[in-house]
Amino acid sequence: MKKSSIIGIIIIAIAIGVIISTYADSSTYGTFADAQKTEDELHVVGKLDKGKELIYNPKHDANYFAFYMHDNKGKECKVVFNGTKPQDFERSEQIVLTGKMVGEEFHASKILMKCPSKYNKNEVEVQGAGASEVKI
Amino acid sequence: MDIKFEGEHLLPGSLGQFFIILSFGSALLAAISYYFASVKDLPDNSWRNLGRIATWVNALAVIGIGSCLFYIIYNHLFEYHYAWAHSSKSLPTHYIISSFWEGQEGSFWLWMFWQSLLANILVWKAKSWENSVLAIVMLSQVFLASMLLGVEIVGTRIGSSPFILLRDAIQAPIFSRPDYLSLVADGNGLNPLLQNYWMVIHPPTLFLGFASMIVPFAYAIAGLWEKRFKDWTAVALPWALFAVMILGAGIIMGSFWAYEALNFGGFWAWDPVENASIIPWLTLIAAVHVILAYRHSGHSYFTATFLTLISFVLVLYASFLTRSGILGETSVHSFTDLGMFGHLIAYIGVFVVLTVGFLVARWKEMPITKKDEETYSREFWLFVGAIVLALSCGQIMYTTSGPVINAILGTKIAPPIDVIAHYNKWQVPFAVVIALISGFTQFLKYKNTDPKKFFSSIIITLIISILLTAAFVFIAKVYSNLMYIVLTFAGFFSLVCNGKILIEAFKGKWKLAGSSVAHMGFALLVVGALVAAATNNVISLNRTGVGYGEEFAKENNPKENIMLYENEPVSMDKYTVTYLGDSIVGPNTFYLVNYKVIDNGKVKENFTLYPNAQQNAKMRSIVASPDTRHYLLNDIYTHVSSVPLQQKSNGHQQEIDEQQNSDDAYDTPSASMVSPGDTVKYRNGYILVKGVNRNAKIEKIELAPGDLAIGLDLEVHNNSGKVYSAQPLYLIKGGNVFDFGKAIDEEGLKLRFSKIDPQQGKLELTVLQKKPAEKKWIVMKAIKFPYINLYWGGSIIMVIGFLLSIFRRNKEVKTA
Repeated sequence: MKKSSIIGIIIIAIAIGVIISTYADSSTYGTFADAQKTEDELHVVGKLDKGKELIYNPKHDANYFAFYMHDNKGKECKVVFNGTKPQDFERSEQIVLTGKMVGEEFHASKILMKCPSKYNKNEVEVQGAGASEVKI
Repeated sequence: MDIKFEGEHLLPGSLGQFFIILSFGSALLAAISYYFASVKDLPDNSWRNLGRIATWVNALAVIGIGSCLFYIIYNHLFEYHYAWAHSSKSLPTHYIISSFWEGQEGSFWLWMFWQSLLANILVWKAKSWENSVLAIVMLSQVFLASMLLGVEIVGTRIGSSPFILLRDAIQAPIFSRPDYLSLVADGNGLNPLLQNYWMVIHPPTLFLGFASMIVPFAYAIAGLWEKRFKDWTAVALPWALFAVMILGAGIIMGSFWAYEALNFGGFWAWDPVENASIIPWLTLIAAVHVILAYRHSGHSYFTATFLTLISFVLVLYASFLTRSGILGETSVHSFTDLGMFGHLIAYIGVFVVLTVGFLVARWKEMPITKKDEETYSREFWLFVGAIVLALSCGQIMYTTSGPVINAILGTKIAPPIDVIAHYNKWQVPFAVVIALISGFTQFLKYKNTDPKKFFSSIIITLIISILLTAAFVFIAKVYSNLMYIVLTFAGFFSLVCNGKILIEAFKGKWKLAGSSVAHMGFALLVVGALVAAATNNVISLNRTGVGYGEEFAKENNPKENIMLYENEPVSMDKYTVTYLGDSIVGPNTFYLVNYKVIDNGKVKENFTLYPNAQQNAKMRSIVASPDTRHYLLNDIYTHVSSVPLQQKSNGHQQEIDEQQNSDDAYDTPSASMVSPGDTVKYRNGYILVKGVNRNAKIEKIELAPGDLAIGLDLEVHNNSGKVYSAQPLYLIKGGNVFDFGKAIDEEGLKLRFSKIDPQQGKLELTVLQKKPAEKKWIVMKAIKFPYINLYWGGSIIMVIGFLLSIFRRNKEVKTA
């Protein structure tokens, strides 16, 4: 057999390996209801419930942060994160959690948020006569 | 309805817009002129001259765009959306430069600027290649210029102009007021994370790297186009090395920025944006190696050409990933979509068609060898190494492209839970193979090598490498994982093999220095990255045991943040850590964290780190940046995770004023019966009762006969020796009793003369003390990175190696 064919076969084998491994390692996007059914970690996309309080008291425990989130189906669940409160968390528009359900709480190992923050939101802050601060 | 708006400066914007149109037009003209100059063999150089003029005009237009935009940002002309969105009045000048390329438009301009600079160098230097190469480069410039157009054509907007006005970009009622500009007080400012000196220099370097990848691409296309199949490889080689060097330096700067300014705790996170920049870099490095193989042996022509071409296509693909908004859910710092999705795809599409078109059209004429390479030949292993690099690139690209695959197939596959482990699983073996090949190939000659000679020369280096590996694995403690040991060995093997070549270079074979230095840099980088990533450990472990149930602790890591109260030392690893206070410089609050190593009562080491955070009172949040203590062999990396939020300064003042009027701000009063000569203790000292003033007067209150006003003469001594005097008053007027307390703000005291007890001849002194100020605290995380200097040092050595290679290959072009 020619060497080039051997190399070709090895390349194809590795490529298949990459595809399979990516597929095996990848997780799924789900809801809190899905999370309750499985033992595995998965991604849950949702929005922060801004009406409920964020529980973070660094003086008591700097590594406990809890909040309430609605998933995309509207189901609400308490989320516990083993770490400090991420910056700008209150302003997040969308949150992607990685983690799993433990009892009635969702224990997140990673939080990724989409933050409009002030840097790309089209919101002009106006200062002027009469009103001290007007948001439009 | 036409409104006459007040205070707008429309000239710089109109001028800038004119330059955009001019740059687009001139790039188009240059591309067309050079195209005709290539295809039409006319005796005069009219097409070429026209192309040159258009290229020069294009450069002027690009500089014009940049000047107008800089003028707008520098002068805070917030009537322009770009200035409003990316800068603010308080921004220092050097960060105004970073805000220039914070937005997509600015970074496209940066790319355009470098590309036009390279085009002008090519006009000057490319000689016989000028026509065909510049036709390609200027075609790419046409696309970049079109990204800034911002012009509506048939209902769709093409590109996004940086000169768009705020009132056109945003719909809001205030823009119907002629004086709206006086209401827009300040811009949005620059993202605090980008307010870092690396952000001034990292983007220009990265974009110079991206921009210079067009040159080898253009040479490869030109070589196929003009059927100068072999020639292009020689002239493109120094350019390819230049692109690899600059892009490599840019990537490393980004890594250093992440390490120094971001608090994600590392130098590489396999974030899609990082991956996007490394993908084309890997393929171009592979291309450089097979170009060499082809030049010395005649093998691998197609691979060399294909890798060179695909590298630039991947640059475009990387831009698409980061700029189209498609990464949205998987990356923290990609751009948001500016409506360029289709436009970017068109850019990629045209260059893919060029690549595929030329490869297919010239397929039969390409000098492709039918014979296999010899196993014991350098060209064979250069080829294999390039293939491994390409596979490594392919793996990164495949996983990073998850969202693209989801978009095409309509699937909903999420990225791996543990992204870093997923990539490392693949990239560590690839790195092992690449490092090994880069080592033993040094002992192989082109065409063929005697296997006996090969093995006898390699055996010594093999033994040395094994000994070094064993020692290093033991010292750096990387024996926990077999793969780590294998990678360490591969790195040392490459180091020793290339070190041997470097010694020969010192003996006189100077031209060998470049590649051996670059390979040694790469080997050090790999070993450094491995050790720092594998053995870094969080040292700020929380041992206080405050928890939230055993269930949680069972499944989670030990807690990694500690709480520090001001001036209360906490023991952490071998350090005694104390939070000493903070200082505010501009928008940043620096937290002084003192580290001491105390051994047998003696202070062996003493240093202070200044991790900082930008407080944003409006958003009630912080943006933290780390500070790092660099040792030769390890780093102590520290950042605050949480701090008390400061009040807005004026709001705070008001609060104090209000509190002074009531007793709410004080602790429960304590009353004591005293006589002159007595002392009363308070928190920070004591109060001495000196005497009674029977003739006290109160302003504006007339004393009638029978009324009584008595003052109590007091001296307040605080613990640091300061003395204050005060005289609270007691008043009986018209049968009613009043008392007028005295406050000593410096001591947080309020003293009242509250009662007279005539029977015992005693006086009642009521002492009110302010509640103690809340003790200051920070929550902090500290990570130890061992041997990270190998990573940075290796990167720098690698870049130097590329530089040496450029000199060598450039000389070959000249002498050829």
